Amino acid sequence: MTVMPRNDGRLTPDQVQSVTFPTARLGRRGYDEEHVRAFCAHVERELVTLLNEKAALWEEVQRLRQRIMGHSDDLPGYRPEDAHIQAVRVLSNAQQTADRYVADAQLYSRQLAEDARRRRDEVLSEAHRYAERVLEEAHGTATRAAEAALTGPVSLTAGERRELTAELAYLRTFSDVYRTHLRAYLEALLRNVEEWERAEKSSIAAARADLPFLPADRLP
Amino acid sequence: MDVQRLKESFARVAMHGDAVPLFFYSDLFLRHPETRDLFPVSMAAQRDRLVHALARIVADVDNLDDLAVYLKGLGRDHRKFGTVAEHYPAVGTSLLATLAHFNGPDWTPELAADWKAAYGLVAQVMIAAADEDAGTRPSFWDATVLAHELRRFDIATFRLATTEPLAYLPGQSVSVESPERPRIWRFYSMANAPRDDLTMDFHVRMIDGGALSMVLTRGLAAGARLRVGPPVGALTYAPGSPRDVLLIAGSTGLAPLKAIVEQISGLAAPRQVHLFFGARTADGLYDLADLEKMADGYPWLTVVPAVSDDPGFRGERGQLPEVVARHGSWRQHDAYVAGPTPMVEATVAQLTALGVPPSQIHTEDFGWSEP
Repeated sequence: MTVMPRNDGRLTPDQVQSVTFPTARLGRRGYDEEHVRAFCAHVERELVTLLNEKAALWEEVQRLRQRIMGHSDDLPGYRPEDAHIQAVRVLSNAQQTADRYVADAQLYSRQLAEDARRRRDEVLSEAHRYAERVLEEAHGTATRAAEAALTGPVSLTAGERRELTAELAYLRTFSDVYRTHLRAYLEALLRNVEEWERAEKSSIAAARADLPFLPADRLP
Repeated sequence: MDVQRLKESFARVAMHGDAVPLFFYSDLFLRHPETRDLFPVSMAAQRDRLVHALARIVADVDNLDDLAVYLKGLGRDHRKFGTVAEHYPAVGTSLLATLAHFNGPDWTPELAADWKAAYGLVAQVMIAAADEDAGTRPSFWDATVLAHELRRFDIATFRLATTEPLAYLPGQSVSVESPERPRIWRFYSMANAPRDDLTMDFHVRMIDGGALSMVLTRGLAAGARLRVGPPVGALTYAPGSPRDVLLIAGSTGLAPLKAIVEQISGLAAPRQVHLFFGARTADGLYDLADLEKMADGYPWLTVVPAVSDDPGFRGERGQLPEVVARHGSWRQHDAYVAGPTPMVEATVAQLTALGVPPSQIHTEDFGWSEP
């Protein structure tokens, strides 16, 4: 772990945010990256909270000290500066809440996209393997049929002819069945993709509907 | 102005970390609510940027030549965000209030005067640079999307037309903003040499969770409005060079290199050009058909597609640096490399190992890695 030393050794949220962990050696399991990241985010939030609290306490001390030393003429109530600092604090808290919502939404969208990508790769490689298997089997059958035709006697008895005709018919059916299978499989995949896109579109529409405060000219 | 005192007081303030920019922006928005509109919803990245800029300025405060270059760039960059000269005093007031707050009892009238003078100088340099820039070009260009095409579920190309002419060099990029994600700007390279009809092509790769790339790949259609900022980037080709050209593109890193190919096609005596276009799988070679058409039309252009993770691919297989090394030593070439960070780094290392002088290697790091 590397932390740039700064500010007489005090740890700041900025430092926690930019900390880097060395990658685990080959063949050894390192820390889970997600966990390390989540932990850093937690530490950062904690530090910000602590520092804000500290600043608030420090101000309170200053105010009380001034009052004791008799600097304050208007004894009860707030001075305008106090009111401004209060307002700054309220706005800062609101901004931090908004930042957290955006960060959470971004994380969620990243995870969704990663999952979708992984799923897509799986589906594609499965389809690939399936298509290869179909091709291989069809090829094998065709080769066997061709060999049988070549090595077979030149003049065929009626029985042999019947047998070959039957085999030919079988092969035709066989190829039809495989083609139907393959088509059904590919169509199912296509439906999957279409459903996915429909879901995406409707969720985007729903998300927009939930945001009535967006000015109309910002919608496409 | 006491430089040492300035630096010490900044170090005291910086100790409070994120609380400092948080206070600054809240103070600014309370005093001048109209400035809130200049920023995105989430301010987290913005706060980091402010702290880094301040640290940079304070660190260089006694190195005025370097600082002036940085500040001028900062002033010009801020034009596209809608910053005007009237905003600078407002920022100055809030900056001083923030410094006073976090310096506590150490905040003396002398220190306040030092900071006031320092900020005045900073603002003066930034405003002057912005004004100078305003004399030569708009702060941003309005653009309309003419066509959008999803090439793969996560890769799209689109063409836009700007309302005003935008002069740029092939290989450069512009920052782009969409009204769907206000105040979020990201850089994209033009994929064509400048045209008279003010149209520009872009190639976009969706970054998982990426704020703008998701909109540009899957949420864009003809008619959509965008804004683009001024052109930047040094990945440019000098037509007078006596050397042949090696172009190495990973994924959408193709865009700036395609623009350079177009530029070379307009020259009277084009040099020999080798373009390597790499992706993980064959469907990542989203623009190969167009490149092959170009190679058919230009006898000086050779296009080599390469794929790293697709055993069924009937072409060059392997990581781009290996594939490039298999095709020659390239010592006498001008090399241009663009794409994901790991690909650019590995390719530069490979070219250096092959003996290509660093002065002949030009790069554009797209700042992400392939998932």
